[in-house]
Amino acid sequence: MLGAFRQTQVSLGGLLWKTPWKLSPTRKANARKRLKRVDSVIEAVRASGVECASLVKALELPKEHEMPARDKYTVFTRHARGYRKGIHKVPKWTRLTLRTNPTGF
Amino acid sequence: MWSTRTIPLSLSFRPCTRLLQHAEHRARGFATATTSSASSPSPSPSELEPNTHYRITLRRSAISLPVRYKGTLVALGLHRRMQTVYHRHTPDIAGKILRVKELVQVENVPASAVRNKTEQRRERKAPRGYAVVGSGLELDL
Repeated sequence: MLGAFRQTQVSLGGLLWKTPWKLSPTRKANARKRLKRVDSVIEAVRASGVECASLVKALELPKEHEMPARDKYTVFTRHARGYRKGIHKVPKWTRLTLRTNPTGF
Repeated sequence: MWSTRTIPLSLSFRPCTRLLQHAEHRARGFATATTSSASSPSPSPSELEPNTHYRITLRRSAISLPVRYKGTLVALGLHRRMQTVYHRHTPDIAGKILRVKELVQVENVPASAVRNKTEQRRERKAPRGYAVVGSGLELDL
């Protein structure tokens, strides 16, 4: 790359950030585990018998075993070809609920 | 301390009540009356009580999450990771749990399982390996 703001090569002392484009099997397994944990939280609130609006919305979310792999490991983006990117590229993705995407994508 | 006579726990004939409570707690096991767990073979008294409280444990922190999640955790009484609080089954607590559902672990427990902070600390303490049965000052003369 040529230009005024070239990346410095690692061999010349520059920094290196590499993010794989897809999740490894370990990260996928951990993501499934986290989804199951959130499922158990929603199930505990449902089993308590309390009624509230947020519970209605939470029960509309798909459970981990109902989700296709696409939704578990990728998330909608309007900028990429195929309109999907790895879910690990979303900041704080391990602590957010990202189960649903726009219909058709 | 210099006048206290202590004997090993196995030889004591008058263990203190805290040791008895701890032995009972250990014997009961740490099985909680959760609705999603498999039914145990012998029904214990705790399973017959209705579950009236949430046991909420903070497992993931809210560092670098928006203020609304931090505020929800404070409203639930959770200030640090692995802290456990008990709340009654009410719609407002249910709503707070569902807002931070990615960060907490929730179980339904009966009212007899509710513990406040000092009671939880006391249960965490390891028992002494001895029981004090007497003191040199109490010798019959």
